Amino acid sequence: MIFVDLSRCTGCRRCETACAFFHTRKVGTHLSRIKVVHAYETGIDGPVGCVQCTERYCLSCPADALSIGPSGEIVYNPSKCVQCGTCETQCPIGAIELFEGAVYVCDLCKGEPKCVKACTEGALTYQPEGEHPSLQEFRERTKKMNPSQKRYSYIKEVGQRIREKWREFRG
Amino acid sequence: MGNYGYGDKISRIDVTEQESHIEQVRTSWMKPVIGGRAANTKRLFQELDFDCDPLGPENILIFGIGPLTGSLLPASAYYTVTAKSPLTGILGDSAAGGHFAAEMKQTGFNQIIITGAAEKLVYILVTESGAEIIECPHLHKKTIIETTRAIRKEHKDYSIEVAAIGPAGENCVLYSTIVSSGNRVNGRTGMGAVMGSKNVKAVAVQGFKSVEMHDPGKFLEEVKKIEKTIHNHPEYNKRYTMGTTMLMGDLNRIGILATNHFQKGVCSYIDHVSGERLAGSYKVKNKACFNCNLHCSRYYVCDKTESEGPEFETLCSFTSRIGNKDLPFALEMNWYLNQMGLDSISTGEVLGWLMECQEKGVIHPEDIDGLSLTWGDKEAIKDAVQKIVYRKGIGDTLAEGATKVSQQFNQEAQELVMQVKGLDIICGDPRGIKAYGLTYAVSSRGADHLRAEPYFELTNRKQEAVNRFGTEKAADRLSEEGKAALVVYSEKIALLCDSLTMCKNIGLCMDILNFENVSALLTAGTGTQYTPEYLQQIMDDSINVQRKLNEEFGITREDDTLPARFVNEPLTEGPTKGSTVNIEKMVNEYYKIHKWK
Repeated sequence: MIFVDLSRCTGCRRCETACAFFHTRKVGTHLSRIKVVHAYETGIDGPVGCVQCTERYCLSCPADALSIGPSGEIVYNPSKCVQCGTCETQCPIGAIELFEGAVYVCDLCKGEPKCVKACTEGALTYQPEGEHPSLQEFRERTKKMNPSQKRYSYIKEVGQRIREKWREFRG
Repeated sequence: MGNYGYGDKISRIDVTEQESHIEQVRTSWMKPVIGGRAANTKRLFQELDFDCDPLGPENILIFGIGPLTGSLLPASAYYTVTAKSPLTGILGDSAAGGHFAAEMKQTGFNQIIITGAAEKLVYILVTESGAEIIECPHLHKKTIIETTRAIRKEHKDYSIEVAAIGPAGENCVLYSTIVSSGNRVNGRTGMGAVMGSKNVKAVAVQGFKSVEMHDPGKFLEEVKKIEKTIHNHPEYNKRYTMGTTMLMGDLNRIGILATNHFQKGVCSYIDHVSGERLAGSYKVKNKACFNCNLHCSRYYVCDKTESEGPEFETLCSFTSRIGNKDLPFALEMNWYLNQMGLDSISTGEVLGWLMECQEKGVIHPEDIDGLSLTWGDKEAIKDAVQKIVYRKGIGDTLAEGATKVSQQFNQEAQELVMQVKGLDIICGDPRGIKAYGLTYAVSSRGADHLRAEPYFELTNRKQEAVNRFGTEKAADRLSEEGKAALVVYSEKIALLCDSLTMCKNIGLCMDILNFENVSALLTAGTGTQYTPEYLQQIMDDSINVQRKLNEEFGITREDDTLPARFVNEPLTEGPTKGSTVNIEKMVNEYYKIHKWK
C-alpha cells in the first residue's frame, strides 16, 4: 500500500500530475487517482488515494466491477461497471470516484507507483507489506458527503494531529 | 492551434449588466503573444479607454494564463492580473503562483475579462460552461481565507480555487491586493482596488477539463531536463530551506538590505530577522506551488499567528526597512496583510517614508492627524496599518500611497519617497546592484525588479557574462557596464516566464529558461512552431506594446529614472560603501539597444 506522511506534504501536486500523465498522457485533477487537498485555513496539504482499508467498502459494488488484485490494489473492470456510483458513495475518504463514465482508483501502477516516485519530499512511500488501516472512524461522519468533501474532511482530521505537534514545537 | 496548450476561449463578464459570454480566440491573435502577461497587455492595449478612471466601471480587469500553465512543466503555476493601475495611473499588473492558475486552466479559459461595476457585492464562479455572477453580502469584510472557505463550502467542492480581495480591496485602498490559495498574492499596482471598485469580492474557478500537450513524449523529455537542472542547481538547498527569505542575509552581506528606509544598507540586527532565523525558529514545513519541484515556500507557526510565507519583500518591508527587530511581529503583519489584502511593499514604503520624514522634521505628527511614527514602533505601525485597511481617519489619506500623499507636502518630503512612476521601490538598494537599479528605472509598471530580475549580476559568472553580454562587468554588481544588455535579455525571459506561464524565481533567477528550451517546450506543447529567433522577436514586440501603452498614459523618457538618493547619496558603510548609481548612462544604453528615442 501507499503510505502517506502528511507532515511532509508541501501541496505541490506532483503526485497528481505524475499519476494522471502515466495513465492518460494528460494532466488534470480528475484524471488522477490520487488527489491533493489544500486545507488553506489549517496549513495542511495532503494527497488522498486508496489506502486499501481493512473494510474495503467499495467492494459492495452491485455490478461486481471491483475486485482485489495481487498487491491488494482495487482492480476495476470497466466492462462490468454500470456507473451507479455506489463505490464513491461507500468510500469514506473520497479515494474512488466516477469521472466521465469511468471509475478512477489507485491501481499501484503494476507495483511501481508513479506518485511515490514523483514525491521527493517523502510524503508518499510504497510499503507492499504495510498494515492496512481501518476507515471505520470516518465512515459515519462522511456518509452524506461527496468525494471532494470526504477528502477534505479526512485530510483535516488527520492533519489535526500534525497541527498539535506544530503548536507543541513552535507555538 | 486546437486545444493543445491553448484553450481557445475567453470568458467575458460585465458585472454592471450581470451578464457573461464566451468568446473564441483566433490563433493569429494568440500566437504572437503566447499567453499570460503578454496576452493581457495586448488585450488592455486593444480594448481600454486609456483616459478612463482606474476605479471606474470602464477599467478592464484581466486574469490571464498561458499555454503551458497547469502542465507537467515545473512551477507552471502562474497567472497575471492586468488593468490600468489606480496607484500609478499606468499599466498595472501582478502575477501570483499557488494553485489558482492550474485550476483556471482546467476551465478551458485563457483569459477572464471583467468590466463594469456591480451594484452589490458579488463573486464570479467560472466553470467550463462559462461565468456565473453570485451575490455575496455575507462575504463583506471577510478575510481571504474566510472567503475561500465559504465559496468552496457553498459549492461542496474543495478543489475550487479562489482569488479574492480582503477588506482593503473592498475599501479600494490603492495598493490593495488579490490573494489566492490562501496566501499567494497579486501584490503590486493595486489590482485589488480595481476588483473592489467593481464590487467583485472574488473570482472562483472550478475546472474539469484536462491539459493536453501536442507531443506529450517530447514535452516530457524537455520537462525532465528542466527538472534536473532545477534539482542540481547550486542554490537548490538554500532556496529549499529559506525560499526568497535567503535574501535577507544575502543582501545584508553585500550592504544593500533596505534599512531604515534606505538610509542604510546594513542591518545590525540581521540575525534576529533573517531567513535562517525564520527557518530555524518558526517554519514547520515547506509549501509549493503547482507542480514545483523546488518547494521554496514555507508555513510557519509563531505565537498566535500562522500562515504561509513571508516572502523576502514582506519580511524586509516589516523588519529592517522600517526599523523593526522583532521577527514575530513581522510574521503577525505578514498574516494580517495577506488576509486583509494589502501590499506589503507599498505599505512598508508609506510607513518607512513617514518615519524618515518625521525623524528629519519634514513632516510632523500634527500634519497627519497626530500619527507619530518612529523606527520599529510596533503599536504605531499596527495602528496605522489597520487605519489604512479600513480607510479610518488618517488611514483614508495614507490609503492613496506614499507618492500621492507626498504631494500635500514640500519638495523634500516628495523626494524622500522611494518610487518610480508612482510605484514603490522593492527592498534591494540599487546602489549595490546596478542592473536592478536600471530595472527599477525602466520597468513598465514602475519601480520593480520582476520585469527583468537581473539576478545574474549577483552570480559572479564572469566568463558567462562575456559570452552573453560582451563584458565580464555584467557579472559585477557594482559596475554599470554591460547592464543594459543584461536587462534587455532578462526582461525578455521574465516576460516569457509570465506568458508561458512559469515561476520567474525559477525560470529567470535560477537561470533555467532560455530561448532554446522554451522553443522546444512551446513547440512540443502547442504543436505550433516557435523558433528561438521568433521568440526573441515577439518578446521584443510585446515590450514595445507595453511602452506604447505607457506612452498613452503619458509616460516619457524623463520618467525612466531613480529617486535622487540612489543617484546622489553614497551609502556610508559596508561592502557597498561609497557607491551611487549612474542611471543616465544605463538608461541611455538601454534605449539604444531598444532603438527607442
